[in-house]
Amino acid sequence: MNGRLDRLRGPVPSRPHDARAIAALAANPGCARRALLDAAGVDKDRTARHLGFPAPFGQSQFAITRGNSFETVVKENGCAELLRLLRELLKLPVAEVGYQDVESVGAHLRHSHTRALVDRAAREDGPAVFYDHPLLSLRIAGHVCYLEPDVVAFQVEGRFHIVEIKSFSVIDGQAEPRKVAAAARQAAVYVLALRALLADLGHAEERVSHEVVLVCPENFANQPTAALVDVRRQLAVLRRQLTRLTRVDTLLDGLPEGLTFDLAPGQDGVPTRPAGEVAEALSRVPARYAPDCLSTCDMCMFCRDEARESGATDLLGRQVRDELGGVSSVAEALGLAEGTLEPAEGQEEIARLLRLAERLREECLR
Amino acid sequence: MSESLDALELRIAELRAQVRRAVKARDNTLARSLRGDLRRAEQAWDRAVGAGEPESPQEREAPLLPVREQVHQALALLGVPSAVRMIVAVNDAFFSGALRGPQLTSLRRDEERSFRGDPYARPYYLCAALTDRLSPARGLLADSTWEPERRVLGPLSPRVDFLVSAMRVADRLVRMTDPPQGARRLLRRMAQNIPGAVEGLAPADPETTIRAARAELEVHHAADVAQRAEVAARAGRQLSDAERLFGAVALSTLRGAS
Ligand code: SF4
Repeated sequence: MNGRLDRLRGPVPSRPHDARAIAALAANPGCARRALLDAAGVDKDRTARHLGFPAPFGQSQFAITRGNSFETVVKENGCAELLRLLRELLKLPVAEVGYQDVESVGAHLRHSHTRALVDRAAREDGPAVFYDHPLLSLRIAGHVCYLEPDVVAFQVEGRFHIVEIKSFSVIDGQAEPRKVAAAARQAAVYVLALRALLADLGHAEERVSHEVVLVCPENFANQPTAALVDVRRQLAVLRRQLTRLTRVDTLLDGLPEGLTFDLAPGQDGVPTRPAGEVAEALSRVPARYAPDCLSTCDMCMFCRDEARESGATDLLGRQVRDELGGVSSVAEALGLAEGTLEPAEGQEEIARLLRLAERLREECLR
Repeated sequence: MSESLDALELRIAELRAQVRRAVKARDNTLARSLRGDLRRAEQAWDRAVGAGEPESPQEREAPLLPVREQVHQALALLGVPSAVRMIVAVNDAFFSGALRGPQLTSLRRDEERSFRGDPYARPYYLCAALTDRLSPARGLLADSTWEPERRVLGPLSPRVDFLVSAMRVADRLVRMTDPPQGARRLLRRMAQNIPGAVEGLAPADPETTIRAARAELEVHHAADVAQRAEVAARAGRQLSDAERLFGAVALSTLRGAS
């Protein structure tokens, strides 16, 4: 099976996933195209560019500087701000103030040092310690990905907490739900990785809390505030999606043998394969476009264009699409509503609702 | 803060576009004045993003001391290994206010080179603080004349050192008849992270801050002293003179390679 995935990707090294990419897997679990591209380690960003549909995101230099600067504020002086927040939020006792910079061993040893420190903490039930710059790992579709959570906090009543520091503002106790959701998905990846590490070391997974600590600046100032976010749902989706990645054989079934998304880069690394050919190959794998893709998937502009072309109901958002289950295009939905199209088997109920809606609309317009 | 970061970012993006348009239209006078606006907006952004970092350097007197001496002065007040941001904040609150973070980036390396070239030639060196792995702690500066225990770190030391530095800043304020605004703000920022040191939005009282910090210090003190003594003893046995001051980078790299 790996042979087939390698052929899908072409003769370039598989692209490793970072936490953002893994989190995005959980954002649209229903999409086979994304699952397959990720399983094969295809560079989606490059592919989208080559197709002429670059994704509209990518962090601006501003955002990066701002994020780093806020993170410094939270961590400086022995995590003084973070300590204040955790004392309030988790009732962390005053004696628990330990701090370990995992990076002090040098980059090449960070992963094994993280492992050793976590093992020791779990074994000895020692005092609370902030592990700064830890390096975790997770196996995704046969490849090891390295992940860098902002801070791992240990321990309040013997539990580890993932601390995620984000620079979007909380105003009057409210943050943009979309950003919180993205942060929760990303933190869930770290929870999963830390749980995998504990399990591997022979400790109970549940010692990693499903409540992550989200730290954000409050009311436009750089003053940090924190909240606990329950990521159980994100964890469940992520788990499912990851098992799905390892079972890509079912996705591969029914695809033509010679199918490949290879961009055939020339000597200088510039793709030489005609964009139309790559687009054609991609269209063989069903996508499930949703407006959420716009903030989570590199392929979004390509898939949106495709969904538009085919008048797919996906375009209207996940909720509408699900309500229109069994009706695949906007044209079809309109036909059923106007009665110009006979409902096929299984479509009777939705057709009745659509006709009702159409009648109500007519009446309102009269 | 006068404008929010978001508003500034929008303005900067807009100004950049205007500069581009002016250059394209060969309107040099306009481009020059727009560039001025852009520079000011960018400076405002830099200040806003590093909230708490010093403001308006131009209005101060010219610096009287070389950079390393200004750093030394701030470290002497703080009394513990400190991060660049804290050193700059103390310089701004109590001294010249002319110190900038970027000026300190190569300081430790320069000092190390000087020490290795001609050991103990200077009365003091700005050196590293050592972690329990005997490697240099990231981003911290220390004074070579401090006793070894003060220049090494155990797991509790970052907190202990923060409390000590807050007490020393407060103590300095107590002894000033008319402490500058910046110094009070610095104390307030530190005090709000110490339980019992400030109430709500009130300004921090130096005496209360000292008492609160001392109360928490009591909790960590004994364990921290023991841990630091152990690290310092190890450093004394295993490291050369230069490594004792600047850390054993080579050691951990070698261990990793074997
Ligand atoms: S953008 Fe396309 S490939 Fe990506 S998740 Fe959405 S539908 Fe799937």
